[in-house]
Amino acid sequence: MGMKYGDAFEAKELPQDLKESLPDVYVDDLLMTLKYFIDEEKAHLWIKDHDVCERCEDKPCLTFCPVGVYKLGHDGRIQVAHQSCVECGSCRVGCPYRNIGWELPRGGFGVAYKFG
Amino acid sequence: MNNAEKIRFDAIVVGAGLAGSAAAMVLAREGLNVALVERGQKPGGKNYFGGAIYTHAIAEVLPDFMERRPPFERPVTEAGFWFLAEDGLTRATVQGGKLDVEPADAYITLRADFDPWWAEQAQDVGAFLIPKTTVVDFIRDPAGQVIGVQTDRPQGDIYAPVVIICEGVNNLLTQKLGLIDHDLEPSHVALAFKQVISLPAETINARFGLPDNDHGLAVSVLGDVSLGLPGMGFVYTNKKSVSVGLGMMLDKLAEYRLRPYDILQRYLEHPAIAPLVKDGQLLEYGGHLIPEGGYRDMPQLYTGGAMVAGDAASMVNALHWEGTNMAIIAGKLAAETAIDAHERGDFSAQTLSAYESRLREGFILKDLKQYRNFAKFLETHPEFMDVYPDFLNDALGQFFSAYGKPKRELFQNIFGALTHRRPLFRAVGDMISMTRSVMGL
Repeated sequence: MGMKYGDAFEAKELPQDLKESLPDVYVDDLLMTLKYFIDEEKAHLWIKDHDVCERCEDKPCLTFCPVGVYKLGHDGRIQVAHQSCVECGSCRVGCPYRNIGWELPRGGFGVAYKFG
Repeated sequence: MNNAEKIRFDAIVVGAGLAGSAAAMVLAREGLNVALVERGQKPGGKNYFGGAIYTHAIAEVLPDFMERRPPFERPVTEAGFWFLAEDGLTRATVQGGKLDVEPADAYITLRADFDPWWAEQAQDVGAFLIPKTTVVDFIRDPAGQVIGVQTDRPQGDIYAPVVIICEGVNNLLTQKLGLIDHDLEPSHVALAFKQVISLPAETINARFGLPDNDHGLAVSVLGDVSLGLPGMGFVYTNKKSVSVGLGMMLDKLAEYRLRPYDILQRYLEHPAIAPLVKDGQLLEYGGHLIPEGGYRDMPQLYTGGAMVAGDAASMVNALHWEGTNMAIIAGKLAAETAIDAHERGDFSAQTLSAYESRLREGFILKDLKQYRNFAKFLETHPEFMDVYPDFLNDALGQFFSAYGKPKRELFQNIFGALTHRRPLFRAVGDMISMTRSVMGL
């Protein structure tokens, strides 16, 4: 059922050679190709409870988000750059603790794919 | 507000994607007053796929579609699999034959072009497109029957006796309506991400072996591309760009703490792939979820006053790249059910249950039921993602090399190349379980 994931989540490691074969891409170079209508008044993504993130050892949201919305701030807190979100839903579904609040942006806002 | 002031339609369709605009088209053609509510600036702005669209589905809704100049990129004239090893590539594609017909079985498209055209076909017969509007909830009568939607616009309530939900993979409205009791599972969704890379048409033709701009290639890429984890790459040739990307199961991306864009870059730098996209300019990068749970993740498809179609209803056959066609057909069947309901003046769950019966008569539920174990099969057989593609490259590489040794040794080597990767009884077992999962046994 839906909520089993948090406890079942188990961090795994790729073999070292595969891990080393991965390049280190600067995601902002990719984001420059995307068009957005940014909602300055309302964030459609948010952390429900920062204490839960603090206890989450692996913080997979920092890596699996395809556009790098989630970053670790200097204060150790998760920061949410909702402006770069492509509304895929991965964070809502993939957070082991279902700790990410997720709504659709208000009508007309958010990503606007030019090719899709 | 009194009754006269309410905004009323005969039907509301939520989402102007493939399912939604198909539904709106069928409803409007029958003379029904349809609101087609789209949250993007225009249809297609939120949509994303590989990808190719199948004409059998388009033709069922719009028989004369070719005369309406659909914004296709190229017909799929070559399709198949590429098996990528760390240092090699084996291609298993088919061209000509059944693929070389007009109109083609499938056309490579870009959704930001196709979806606006598809919605226009609905608008042309009278559907009323309401863009830049997000549906946030339903309006229900005291008995719980859906009688409209709430949008995020001021005074944005819209009433209709029937609502067709085509909201896409993030099916929050479907959940809100209680048609499914849980959110998506990370092990049942693939995160797909791709780059659209600009290249001159002649360069594409030369590099991909296409005779001209009226030929196109669509391939699934297995092997090294997904780091040995469940996942599949793809390559599609557009007119003046190529789409290269891959889909990987979200739970694996999370557990291994992988960055999708790093994996994609590694794939693009593969010695067999890099020359194909060399000197290309990145036009767009993006990502989207694919509901791959299939039959087991299907919500209830109807309730009083509402039906669900497309990705929101998990209508995807991952192995065969089907989903767009199912969405279109399901949208049409939901619309036909709504038309019948209007004739009867009865929008109860019982009347709308005819939607599910229509789906069962066609291929959608039959296929999804048959393939219900396939997603699970890939989860439990990761060797199809690395061992076999790698073996195939090794075996063919040896087969076509002249070693100056007896051929008996060659076949022993090839056999050894398989068995040192996977004991023979396991390999036979793998093939049997793959067959079982595909045949629905």
